Amino acid sequence: MVVKRSTERTEKEVEYTRLRIPFGPVHPALKEPVLLRISVRGEEIIDVDMTLGHVHRGIESLAEGRNLIQTLYLIERICGICSHSHTTCFIQALEEIGSIIPSERALYLRTLIFEMERIHSHLLLLGVMAYEIGFDTLFMFTWHVREKILDLFEKITGNRIHHAMNTIGGVRWDLTSQMAGEVKAYMREIEKSTKYIHSAFTDGTVEKRICNLGVLDYNDAIKLCVVGPTARGSGVNIDVRKDHPYAAYDELKGDFSVITRKDGDVYARTEVRIFEVFESINIIKAILDRLPNGSIRPEENVFRIMKRIPEGEAVSLVEAPRGELLYFVKTDGKGGLIRLKVRTPTFSNLLSLKRMLVGCEIADIPVIVASIDPCLSCTNRVTIINQEKGKSKVIDMDSLRRMVRRKWMRR
Amino acid sequence: MDAAIAFLISPPAVLLISLLFEGIDRKIHARMQKRIGPPVTQPFYDLIKLFSKERIVPITASARVFETMPMIAAAVSLLGASILLSNILSGSSVIGDLILVMYLLAMSSVALMIGGSASGNPYGVVGFSRKMSMMIAYEIPMFIAIISVAFGSSPSLAINNIIRFQISLGLPLAASRPSMALAAATFLLCMPAAASVVPFDIPEAKTEIIYGFLIEYGGPYLALAKIAKAVSNFALTLLASAVFLYVPLLLGENVLLNLGISLSLCLIESLLIMFVTITVPRTVLARLKIGQAFKFYWMLPLILSISSIILSSVGL
Repeated sequence: MVVKRSTERTEKEVEYTRLRIPFGPVHPALKEPVLLRISVRGEEIIDVDMTLGHVHRGIESLAEGRNLIQTLYLIERICGICSHSHTTCFIQALEEIGSIIPSERALYLRTLIFEMERIHSHLLLLGVMAYEIGFDTLFMFTWHVREKILDLFEKITGNRIHHAMNTIGGVRWDLTSQMAGEVKAYMREIEKSTKYIHSAFTDGTVEKRICNLGVLDYNDAIKLCVVGPTARGSGVNIDVRKDHPYAAYDELKGDFSVITRKDGDVYARTEVRIFEVFESINIIKAILDRLPNGSIRPEENVFRIMKRIPEGEAVSLVEAPRGELLYFVKTDGKGGLIRLKVRTPTFSNLLSLKRMLVGCEIADIPVIVASIDPCLSCTNRVTIINQEKGKSKVIDMDSLRRMVRRKWMRR
Repeated sequence: MDAAIAFLISPPAVLLISLLFEGIDRKIHARMQKRIGPPVTQPFYDLIKLFSKERIVPITASARVFETMPMIAAAVSLLGASILLSNILSGSSVIGDLILVMYLLAMSSVALMIGGSASGNPYGVVGFSRKMSMMIAYEIPMFIAIISVAFGSSPSLAINNIIRFQISLGLPLAASRPSMALAAATFLLCMPAAASVVPFDIPEAKTEIIYGFLIEYGGPYLALAKIAKAVSNFALTLLASAVFLYVPLLLGENVLLNLGISLSLCLIESLLIMFVTITVPRTVLARLKIGQAFKFYWMLPLILSISSIILSSVGL
């Protein structure tokens, strides 16, 4: 993995002058574990190597041993930020296999929660972005705004993070007209605050840190198959909501536009997200204006519906806050699953990090890593490296538990 | 007050006041961010807890250097601040002058840098190199400003002579002449970097290099490093208020005779200076990159300080 910068430099010289810095798996700038092995000369990054898998929880395998309703609650726990995207994607596949058509009102409500989730996810990222560049005040302000959205979630669904809104053939909670009024009032407030956040991001010191940084041009974006705001920041006009409309997006097509920026730098990706918040607010306003009447879910018990879903397979797509989320679902016809495959947007986006990071400074790493909004998950093993012997051994969860128990016994 | 007594009571007083200053800074910072924030006494609790913790020295560290450097850092910054305070308390200049105080304060940063780079952690090394560049960026304008002050007042390097010069003028030094105003501006501009707070906390940027040279320090060592930082921040603000803007003199001769009032006025003033040069920048600005910070310091404060020294040499 040695990068030759000029032909005169021998490999050995490069070896001497560079310093290897491990970025992660635990690092204040990372919210979830990923390991980037970064080689630097002075402050300049010359090579990046990436290790994933600290987060493997075996969810797909777990899902194969459970029935469909249990799986629904399991996959909601894949991500704490885009939990509704995951369940929507899964439910859509099930509904296609079982040819169940949810009511119009249910689809609109799904879309409502979906867009609120996008706002909450984007605000979260904007806050993290501010935190990475050392602007704690903006971070606090942004998360203060985000708190309002979470309160709104709690009012509508009863939960702040894992909304458990979706069920086969519909949604679980209805929106009363009083709640609709509240949502509208909140949206006005959030629009105002987001405008303020935008003006803070265009401030001089912030711009200095995030402009012309981590550039991913159009061709690289296409080649590396990046998705979501990362792709749109490089001028690639893709959005599942427009390209393959699902839920109620077909009817809401005219109410929002796809935001793209040509620069492909961190600032472009951030700006795409800021403007997507405004677009989401537009969609929510349109939904509240045009919310159809009707039932929100079938009368029949959900377990009966589950048992009626035949053997079959389906692929489902949604536009999660971070980009295209893909599910492949294969049912066994007895209320269980044969295979579940999840392809999350971050998986597509992570590889582009290498292209963005090489040539930048150490100070830019957290900003660039944050700019693709990586969403990984939690860890299940520990690697202990004995530096004296130069050996490393991997300790799994069970032996870690045993070690902890032994330590407590000794006390 | 007798110089010996002043020097004896100074170190505990300095420790107490500087930790209190840090607490006030944290509280104001939190309120500006719409947070409740820790109680003003939080730094004391932090220190008590840290001192009661286990000492950990990494295998890769060269243990002697790693262990002694925080002690040296805390000791020299405490010494520097005590010299300053006891000079003001006793009203005589027997103990030390401006150059010694500045040297001791710089020494404390250098000691922490060396200790951190001896930890064997790559982040410590990056922190060391960043702090090195930052010190070159801000220490030079700061020293030139101090030298310009020495030329401009009487000429003398003794803190008390400068204070007496201000009293005889009836004006704070910064308001007396354009060259002194420039020197004061330089000193205040260098404060955030010397205190290493956002936007100039580059050597210990939390999200970039995980506190840089402080990364491997924990327990009592971290407590010592924290003391070193808090005390040197306090010493810098006190220095700025005593040397550049000695406000008590504006209240007339009677007040000057009363040590208690003039000292507490001086402390309140240094609290204000801390608010302007440390709390506000770290609340309203984002962190710069090392190149940008370097450029800033050599574009603005360096030029200001050099023009100050030129102006003061022609008698302006």
